[in-house]
Amino acid sequence: MADKKERSGSPGQEPPEPVPAGATPRRAGLGQRLLPYAGYLVVTAGLCAYGLWADNYYYTQLLTFIGIHTLLAVGLNMVMGYAGQISLGHAAFFGLGAYTTGALTVHLSWPPLAALPAALAVPALVAFIVGMPTLKLHGYYLGMGTLGFGMIIHILFREWTALTGGPNGLVGIPVLSAGPVSLAGGKTYLFLVWGAVLLSFGMCSRIVHSRVGRALSAIHFSEQAAAAVGVDTMRAKLEVFVFSAALAALAGFLYAHMVTFISPSSFSFLVSIRIVAMVVIGGMASIWGSLFGAGLLTLLPEWLHVFSEYEVMIYGLVLVVVMIFFPQGLTRGVLDAYERARRRKTGAGPSA
Amino acid sequence: MSAQGEEKPAPVLQLEGVSKSFGGVRAARDVSFSVAPGHIHAVIGPNGAGKTTLFNIITGVYAPDSGRIRFEGADVGGRPVHRRVAMGIARTFQNVELFSGMSVLENVMVGLHVRTRCGFLGAIARPPWVKREEKLARETALDWLRFVGMEKVAETPAGDLPFGWQRLVEIARSLASRPRLLLLDEPAAGLNARETRDLGALLKRIRAQGVTLLLVEHDMSLTMEISDRIMVLDQGVKIAEGTPREVQADKKVLSAYLGG
Repeated sequence: MADKKERSGSPGQEPPEPVPAGATPRRAGLGQRLLPYAGYLVVTAGLCAYGLWADNYYYTQLLTFIGIHTLLAVGLNMVMGYAGQISLGHAAFFGLGAYTTGALTVHLSWPPLAALPAALAVPALVAFIVGMPTLKLHGYYLGMGTLGFGMIIHILFREWTALTGGPNGLVGIPVLSAGPVSLAGGKTYLFLVWGAVLLSFGMCSRIVHSRVGRALSAIHFSEQAAAAVGVDTMRAKLEVFVFSAALAALAGFLYAHMVTFISPSSFSFLVSIRIVAMVVIGGMASIWGSLFGAGLLTLLPEWLHVFSEYEVMIYGLVLVVVMIFFPQGLTRGVLDAYERARRRKTGAGPSA
Repeated sequence: MSAQGEEKPAPVLQLEGVSKSFGGVRAARDVSFSVAPGHIHAVIGPNGAGKTTLFNIITGVYAPDSGRIRFEGADVGGRPVHRRVAMGIARTFQNVELFSGMSVLENVMVGLHVRTRCGFLGAIARPPWVKREEKLARETALDWLRFVGMEKVAETPAGDLPFGWQRLVEIARSLASRPRLLLLDEPAAGLNARETRDLGALLKRIRAQGVTLLLVEHDMSLTMEISDRIMVLDQGVKIAEGTPREVQADKKVLSAYLGG
């Protein structure tokens, strides 16, 4: 113990005291130890069940889209929810991933899997270059900066006809295959996409619960104080921005090889706002909330056809309502409301 | 400068002719002073004397218009804030700047940022050394909380603590970076008499750890009691420096405070 204290550079002069209850990692039962993995288990079980029993092309497509949107949302959540930096141009990275793989496979006939590294690297590099000046901005200014960037990239997709096919889009993107093995077919692709989602959740959750994640949170609460305790805030913001762009690019890659046709409208400003809405509704700084937000905003337009006509209006309204009444996001908000209601029911006494 | 014939160890911090203006306001005018290792060195002066500006110049928030800042002999002038923390300069804020939604323990763990090295890829791959580092960081942070007497609230969100406790957590957080120079901006502000007394004892214990302290303080009885040396600023100019006794006797100091 004494030896360890030496190495850790702790104040050695203090008399040894019993370690308080909250100090050592609590010895939890099996159930409690599995709890962090509950989400992964439930999703995996649900997918297996779906794979075994259901066979409906429409639902398979829908679930695949939810997976792709979840990738977008969880990536943006790292930037917005954890690091507290707004990005209103995330559809650009989604699009850059899709168009990079699209251009390489259509014009140069690369096999899709060979295009994957480039489809991740190009948007990540763009994020790095754009992030360097942009992430120096704060609040609304950062919002405006990223918004402008998203629009520029959108115009690029529309005007650089030789590469992107212009407003007509890029046709004939091959479906995914690993050598002779086709990864296309509805359910196979569904599992592939959700595998990527669960993998990204694992990565994000590890980042959140690490030195890096704490530094990002610290920046969220007070950038000045974070710098004052030694966090290189610029570097931390840039890293998470690039990581987030890479996740969006992965979503773009998976999207392009699923629908085999991409056009600029899929990566417009509205799409950026939709991703922001997914994060806000699901809950800032909530990895699993991203799944909820993405699911809800994928299903709603499908179920309510009025929705698509008034989409922008409804997003605006939903964002305002959620921000005012459930600043923690809808998931947390509903849970809290339930908790309050239960407490009110069980007893009006001062303490339980 | 110091007229006493004692042998002088190399100063921890040395300012040479530091000046800084904001528009027409000259917040620091040709300020020179040095802080000896193991001292508690106080900076006092009426409101607006430029004390916090001086702190911001030393920590790297502001670049001085002219002059030099040396830390342990090295010119730190051009280095950004976080690099200076890594070198061994830590600070606390006048209004306590904790990461309010994070737990007390996590706050102190962020303080260990410059003494740990797990990066983005390390966090994702989580190899054994990262796990070990994480465990060690947790233990070290708890040790620092114990040092300031705040270990019982380790899991509490920092923003939920009473103000006096937040201040102690902030001190623990700054100590976690293992500084050799700690700057405290009005550590007694907002504390009651008892808390102030405890703070004085804590500052002496910090000095006993080998940390040199530079503090801005308004509480004169505390300052006079614990300081080894005091520098007096008025309108950005150093008007006096010496032991507490010398400063108290200084005419210029009295007139600055009484508005003479």
